[in-house]
Amino acid sequence: MSGGRHASPTRLIRRPWAAAAALIGIMMVCGAVAGLAWAGQTGRAATPTGKPPLVPVPRGKWAATAQALSAAVPRPTALEIPAIGVKTSLVQLGLTSAGTLQVPSSTAVAGWYTASPRPGAIGAAVIAGHVDSYLGPGVFFRLRDLKPGNLIYVRRHHGSLAVFRVTAVRTFLKKKFPAADVYGPVPDAQLRLITCGGTFDPSTGHYLSNVIVFAVLAST
Amino acid sequence: MRTARTLRTLARTAAAVMIAAVTLTLGPLGIAAPLASASTGVGWIRLAHLSPNAPSVDVYLYSFGDSSAQIVLHHVSYGTVSPFEQVAAGDYTVAMRSAGAPASSKPVLSTAVDVRVGHAYTVAGMGPASGLRLQVITDRLTAPAGKALVRVIQASLDQQVVTVTVGHTKLARHLKFASVTGYRVVKPGTLSIRVAGSSESAAATESLMPDSLYTLVVLDSRGKLKIDCLLDAQGSKVDPAGAPMTGFGGTAAEPGVALLPWAAAGLAGLLMATTGTVLVMRRRRPALHAR
Repeated sequence: MSGGRHASPTRLIRRPWAAAAALIGIMMVCGAVAGLAWAGQTGRAATPTGKPPLVPVPRGKWAATAQALSAAVPRPTALEIPAIGVKTSLVQLGLTSAGTLQVPSSTAVAGWYTASPRPGAIGAAVIAGHVDSYLGPGVFFRLRDLKPGNLIYVRRHHGSLAVFRVTAVRTFLKKKFPAADVYGPVPDAQLRLITCGGTFDPSTGHYLSNVIVFAVLAST
Repeated sequence: MRTARTLRTLARTAAAVMIAAVTLTLGPLGIAAPLASASTGVGWIRLAHLSPNAPSVDVYLYSFGDSSAQIVLHHVSYGTVSPFEQVAAGDYTVAMRSAGAPASSKPVLSTAVDVRVGHAYTVAGMGPASGLRLQVITDRLTAPAGKALVRVIQASLDQQVVTVTVGHTKLARHLKFASVTGYRVVKPGTLSIRVAGSSESAAATESLMPDSLYTLVVLDSRGKLKIDCLLDAQGSKVDPAGAPMTGFGGTAAEPGVALLPWAAAGLAGLLMATTGTVLVMRRRRPALHAR
């Protein structure tokens, strides 16, 4: 009849509504914390949902080994990544007057940086594309979904394929862009795919990070 | 007095509820996971036969302790330098056997190689056949911006000592057989390369790129001298400044809007949880008057 200092089973039964309210309340707070954490990812690029468009595995002769002289390797003309539904021609990118990397004028195509080695030559070939336009996804919207082991196909002039295998997918703050890892010398044939990611800053209209995919020439 | 005590109790309970809820929720969720990244703890290794009078060999690369080889190159003859292979960083063993010898036979030569992350190594059979040794040569992978780096491996036994010039730069003077120079900075361009020994000389023309590294190998070839210009590593000719601007925000979530409903639900929940808990926990006060 009289209660002690602490709740006893009889007390809970006596005030079932209070106990229920407490339990529901705690669950609501947990849910709110989770929701705030998720929604608090302010301005991040939306996570791609659903299946990527179907892109068949390209057919063609694979480039067997890395070639020393970039000039001996045909120039790249197209890029296909079946794992994330990317199929695009490749424009050529140079430098802007400010010395920064030119980006494709269309958000639907990717571009090869012409001062980087040709894909299949010794060195890291650099290909960049937009993650989104003002209105929706761009050619490299799903780049962050690539996983180590996925294959990337670069079609070259005259039809041969340089096939690369993803080794890493990384995000870097732009103010800490790893220039040496992207543009520096490497002794084998590699590929770097670059797009934007991380938090979007509406005040500047730019993303704060880059997503970079690292890949190496795959053997037949 | 009672009001103050009640308020304190309410505040303490609310705090306890919040702490419990946050711990329960964020513990398992963890902080927002960074994008998937794989370890890139790799280095590079290539294998070479640079002993003019030693016969062809089979070259085996073992991850240290493994009994079966990760890479086997068959019938490697003098003058062969394999392309760089990317390997996981760690300890390796390189072994040479006579060409065609069984993989289980005792190697003619073997050496350990410690491949460190981001480093490249050339493991070469060097010296005369009578004094054959496996030498681990560390290869550089960085060049001064806009420049080329060139070094020489002297593998000519006929011309015991050579002098090597690239363009106007003298890379090596009286370089002895079976030795390796350090790297010298060379201005990129199409350059003539000249190697001169005591009785023979050779010349070649090569285009040397910026941000690239080369090894010139001086070889005997049927009584004459030969130069092999190997591209060791290559980078972009010009490094762009800054970071690429490859996005316009069309898929970025709107800031702030989505937070309000969650905050409201959280406050309501906190109120309910606090009230309910306090009511459940409250000690029944002794009756002040008869019921």
